[in-house]
This record gives sequence, structure tokens and C-alpha cells, in this order.
Amino acid sequence: MDFRAGDSWGIFAFLCAALWNLPAVPALNSTDEAGAGQSIQKTYDLTRYLEHQLRTLAGTYLNYLGPPFNEPDFNPPRMTRAEMVPSATVDFELWRSLNDNARLAANYRAYTHLLCYLRGMDGQVAKADLRKSLGHFCSSLQGLVVSIAGVMSSLGYPLPGSLGSTDPAWAHGLGPVSPHNDFLKKMDDFWLLKELQTWLWRSAKDFNRLKKKVPPAAVTLSLEAQGF
Amino acid sequence: APRSRSSPASESPPHSQPTPFTAKPLPAPRHPALISPQDPTLVIGSSLTAACTVNTDSHLSAEDLYWTLNGRRLPAESYKVLNATTLSVALAHLNGSKQQSGDNLVCHSRDGGILAGSCLYVGLPPEKPVNITCWSKNMKDLTCKWAPGTEGETYLHTNYTLKYKLRWYGRDNTCQEYHTAGPYSCHIPKDLALFTPYEIWVEASNRLGVAVSDVVMLDVLDVVTTDPPTDVHVSRVGDLEDQLSVRWSSPPALKDFLFQAKYQIQYRVEDSSEWKVVDDVGNQTSCRLAGLRPGTVYFVQVRCNPFGIYGSKKSGIWSDWSNPTAASTPRSERIPGVCDPKSGEQNSTLRRELKQFFGWVKKHAYGCSNLSIKLYDQWRVWLQKSHKTRNQVGKDPSLILSYLGGPAGGWRASDLGSTGPYPQRRP
Repeated sequence: MDFRAGDSWGIFAFLCAALWNLPAVPALNSTDEAGAGQSIQKTYDLTRYLEHQLRTLAGTYLNYLGPPFNEPDFNPPRMTRAEMVPSATVDFELWRSLNDNARLAANYRAYTHLLCYLRGMDGQVAKADLRKSLGHFCSSLQGLVVSIAGVMSSLGYPLPGSLGSTDPAWAHGLGPVSPHNDFLKKMDDFWLLKELQTWLWRSAKDFNRLKKKVPPAAVTLSLEAQGF
Repeated sequence: APRSRSSPASESPPHSQPTPFTAKPLPAPRHPALISPQDPTLVIGSSLTAACTVNTDSHLSAEDLYWTLNGRRLPAESYKVLNATTLSVALAHLNGSKQQSGDNLVCHSRDGGILAGSCLYVGLPPEKPVNITCWSKNMKDLTCKWAPGTEGETYLHTNYTLKYKLRWYGRDNTCQEYHTAGPYSCHIPKDLALFTPYEIWVEASNRLGVAVSDVVMLDVLDVVTTDPPTDVHVSRVGDLEDQLSVRWSSPPALKDFLFQAKYQIQYRVEDSSEWKVVDDVGNQTSCRLAGLRPGTVYFVQVRCNPFGIYGSKKSGIWSDWSNPTAASTPRSERIPGVCDPKSGEQNSTLRRELKQFFGWVKKHAYGCSNLSIKLYDQWRVWLQKSHKTRNQVGKDPSLILSYLGGPAGGWRASDLGSTGPYPQRRP
């Protein structure tokens, strides 16, 4: 093709004008993605904060349960309700291959149920100050559930149904089944706290992964919009 | 079949086997072993024999088992093999539970694995709560607090319920808001009748029993307190070194509830913890403190007591103290030597005079429109730069006056405060 000098200058001039007017160019999903990026960061921060809060709360609660529950290597068998708590441990390859929607949904479902069980635990505790700490933790955990929901909606994913047919038994409103004795209940409480801890560790990794895929300031410049 | 623990407030005598009842219709998973009694409640000092029966599916026998209590292995001498699958343990003279959630009695298999557990609740029945005291904030509510009774530590979780009823009306009410003023307190926020006495008592209950306090009778109007006084100001009394004047406003609720108030003041020196109380303040909203130390910082607080409520002569309950307000008494002698105030004072009066002078000059003299106090200031600054010693400043006012002494046409504004050195008149 034979370009006259004027044409290439014209192209150059337009490019400059386009770049100059960058903010005015409609960027594809820029606000949505920027919002999602920030939400993901906030959710990540929240999981770290909760992890920290849990350390103190668990320490106090296990002391309340008494030895051997507060001994470092305590590892009781899992029974009854403990089997119904959603597990965070999953095959590494499986975890890695999760798409964003599945990853977020797993987190959302897990914390919704963990919150429910935690609230059940709250009602039984004798000591008033421990009940208060549990109450605060539940509120923060509720915040996490809402935060995850926020991320999901800003990325355009639907929230998992609370009592879907595909969910395992514990999601079907059986709720925290009262165990047959106080000792079993103590073991359930122990595993609940352990699972909560594992989930928070896992979530930090989940959200770290999501952070890398959705950077905070993602702006796409669309030249096609200018008919160029 | 799994056994449930006995119902809360009933007294279960030690050694008893819990009564069997029909199991709940839930899909009960098969446990590796079962302990009997499950979650018993016992009085301190009692003895207990517990039995662990392994499930036939687990292929374990009684010889494969051992017991721990709160993580500590129990001695084999206290074990007894009852049959092929059951091992018992004898516990004597039990101490109060280590934690309120119950002592953990656990049946283990040889390799340490947990097969079953039972929570032991060992303690004492509650004592009668005592020392019930109540107060009402502005006749709107009632807060009561009490003490748990001589023993205090029951080792078991003890629930306290505050109940109240109007003296001549049968209905019992239960207080709902606990721990508002400490662990043994409750707050009744509304629906309180005046002029009629209430009967108030506290019930304490735990797994071993119930105890009820003596009934306290009171009329809400007799236990009224109010907010502390507001806007407390403490100020000096002129130059008087040993006095401070305190002024405050009565708490706003006083107006709404038509009661009078009497006040009390307390004050202390900054570095002392001893408060001095002024009692005879009456119902004025100001007071003068005398006999104080000069040049000292004082902290002052005021509180209020409502009385004469609906004509009665009785006083109520003192409010909290107001937040401390600080003030200092003046000090008479000047601190010598550190800085000489004289020239400073002279400067400020001189400057004031000059300003007035320049103002007059502007109005009445020709060719002096550029004159202003700014020139004087500029000159002062220039002086400080060119002269090393400060005490020249005190002398210079006389110089400027002599300089100005010449006829109006004899000098120019630019000579003053100019960059050049001060001509001829250098002292």
C-alpha cells in the first residue's frame, strides 16, 4: 500500500487524541472489574483477620472444654455432627482446577453452614464472656459471608441456593443435630473449630488466587468503539 | 441404648444409675463404646463408679481399655473387669469440677484412641444470694445488683434470675437484661409503678439445686439517682491565690421530674490521691473553695443527690461524680531572672503608642502617607539582624524618637527600615 505522508500523520494524530481522551473511552466492564478486585482484596483481608480472631477464641474455648481438648496434639475421632461439617481439605489438583465460580461457591456454602453451627454452639456456653466473644466472632463471620456474596455478584455469578438438592445432607435443614451426650458435643465443638480454622487458611489461598486473576484496576481500551 | 443426663435442677444422689427411657427416633450412629453414667451430676466429696462397655463390632475386650480424667491416666488399681467387654473405674472423694463444662472422663483403647467420654459435673448447690441493692435512674428504670452468697464458687454453672412483683398484686415478673452493672446485676427498663412497694428477690439455680434470696421490699421513689451535674467550670477568683470558684448546672432530668437537688464537691491537688469533700453545698449551683495553696493545680468534681421527690423529705442516691475539671490558683511572686519582662512590656506599650501616633500622622501630616506601624516592625526586625545583642532594643525607642525629631520635610520614609546600616546613631 502506498501511504501518503498526510495519512500516516492523520493516523498518528488520531492515536494521540484517543490516548489523550483515555478516561472518556468506554472501557469494557472496567467499573465491575475494579469493584470485584477491591471486593476480593477486602475478602482476603477479612479471612486473615478472622483467622487471627479465631486463634484467640479457640484458645479460650478449648480451655473452657478442659483437658484433653486444649492439649496440643489432641486428635479425637470424628463422630455424628462432625461428619456433617463441610470439609476444607480437598485434593490439591482438584482445588487448583476449580473455576472461579466453583471456588467462590464452595467458600460461600462452607461459611454459611459453619456460621449456623457456630451459632448453635453459642447458646450452650455457660460463661458469659465466652458467649460474648463467640457472638462477636459470629458477626464477623457473617460479614465474611456477605463479602463473598458481594464478590460473586460483582463477577456476575449467581449465589448458591441455600438448600439445593445437590447439597449433602447437612444442607437440608437438619441443622445442628443435638448429640446424645455432652462429651460428644465437646468433640463436635472441637472439630467445628478445627474445620473453621482450616477453611480460613484455605480461603486465604482461594482469594489470593482470585486476586491474581482479577487485578484491582483493569481498564480495557476498545479502539473498535471509535470505528478505527 | 444411649442414656441422657438427668434434668437440670433435680438432685441426683451419687452412685445411682440413671433411669432408662426410650431412645430418640434419630438414626443413631454406632459408637465404639458407651459409658455409664453418662454426664452425671455429683456433690463434692462423693464417690463414683463408672463403666465403659465396648461395642461388640470393635473387636476389643475389657483388657484393652484404660481411663483418663481431664487428660490424666487413672491408676490401674482402680479398674475392675466386669465382663468381657466392660471395664469399670472407681473414683473417690471427688473435688469440684476443673471447668464449668464438666470434667472429662474418657475411656480409651490400648493405642490411646478415644472410644467414649462422659462429663462429670461435681460441685455444690447454690447459696442464697445476698446484699440486693437497687437504684432507679430518674425514676425511669430499676437496676439491681447482688452477691452470690458466702461460698461463691460452686464449680457448676449457676444461673441467677431476678424476680419482682408489686406488693399487693400477685403476678411475678422476671428481669431480662443481665450483667448491665457487673456480673451479678439486672436492669428493668420500663413499666415501673411509683408509690407502691415492690418485692424483689433473686433465685440461684444450678444442676444441684435452687436457692432463693430474702425478699427486699422497696418503693422506686426511695432509690432514685440522677445524672451528674453538667458544665462544671472552675475559675480563679481575681488574683486571690487561695481561692477557686466552682460553677455547674443542675442535671436536666431534675426539671422533668420535679425533684430538688443537693450537691457535694470533692477536690484534690494534682499529685495527691486524697480527696477533700465539701458537704454543705446545699442546692446552689456555685461554690467558692478557700484555703487553697497558691500556684497549685486542683482537680474538682461535683455530684448530685435528688431529694424532695413529690414532697417527701427523704434523699435519694448520690449520682456519679462529674468528670474532673482542672484549674490552678494564681501565684503571687514573679520568678526572678529567667527572662526580663520589663523591656517586653515597654515594647508593647511603646508599639501601641506608635501605632496611634502613625494613625494621627496619616490624617494630619503631609507627605507621610507611607508611614505605618509596619515600618516600625520592619525596623525592629532589621535591628535584630544587624545587632547581635538584644538589650539594644530597649534603648532604641529613644533613638527613633530623636530621629523623628527633625522637621517633617527633613526625612524620608525609605530611610527607616532600609537595608543599609543605621547611620550615625549607633549607640
